[in-house]
Amino acid sequence: MQSNPHEDPLALKALQGAIYRDKILRSRALTTAQRLEEVFALSNHQVGMMHAGAMDRLGTTDEAEGWREVRRWFERLDAIREHGRFVREITLNS
Amino acid sequence: MTLEQVVAHLIDAAEASEVPFMVVGAFAAGAYGVPRSTRDLDLLVAVQTGGGVGEMIRKLDPLIEFDPQTLFDSLTWGRRHVGHSRASPPFKVELFEVFDDPFVAEQFGRRRRLFIPMLNRHTWLPTPEDVVVQKLRWGRNKDLDDARDVLAVQSPEMLDMDYINRWCEIHGTQERLREALEGIPPL
Repeated sequence: MQSNPHEDPLALKALQGAIYRDKILRSRALTTAQRLEEVFALSNHQVGMMHAGAMDRLGTTDEAEGWREVRRWFERLDAIREHGRFVREITLNS
Repeated sequence: MTLEQVVAHLIDAAEASEVPFMVVGAFAAGAYGVPRSTRDLDLLVAVQTGGGVGEMIRKLDPLIEFDPQTLFDSLTWGRRHVGHSRASPPFKVELFEVFDDPFVAEQFGRRRRLFIPMLNRHTWLPTPEDVVVQKLRWGRNKDLDDARDVLAVQSPEMLDMDYINRWCEIHGTQERLREALEGIPPL
């Protein structure tokens, strides 16, 4: 049986390095346009998975309800990630 | 609607409004580093020429609902317009205006035109060196990962490291650069 790398910090680091090295070498084999097309594919896939997860969590078959939940998740994420980062423009009529 | 359809509309709106632009953020990092998913489409736009960003936003209005209030980035004090796709999925569009910052001006001047077959359109991207400098300057965890990935995929031997070092010195981000370079495993 294969040893558990989590019990050996050096083995875990070697495994992480090997995974990262594979990612780098794979990306190097792509053109700039191909890498951009992967960004599109990954992004569409990710948001689709979030939608499926939202519908499952809500126990609904209503796709619109699922998308509203995904939108709410994104709003929460934005609020956390951008906390203190941006300020609103102050306008005279605001 | 797919993300590439949103991007195609953005490119068309920018060109129709005669607004020079380049794609930044996760797209630029993915173009030169390791592609990752994103739901944010970030464009750096020039506002001094052409019809202006207001016209671009009006052209996008059927598709993208922009926040009526402009935001200011508290790190760089650049103006930022945020919009969300009206249809699902809820993609986010951010238009960052080019502003009076030596690095921002230089990276915009060095942008590259690239044809994307999937979009059947040309778009504009920063150079990989400028992506590294920008990502190190922002300095969030994912930015630092992106900078390391671009350095690893493009390789320091092929990049203009003198240029990167010069801006990192000006921005005080040499330590972040050193850590990014140390994070690249032997290939």
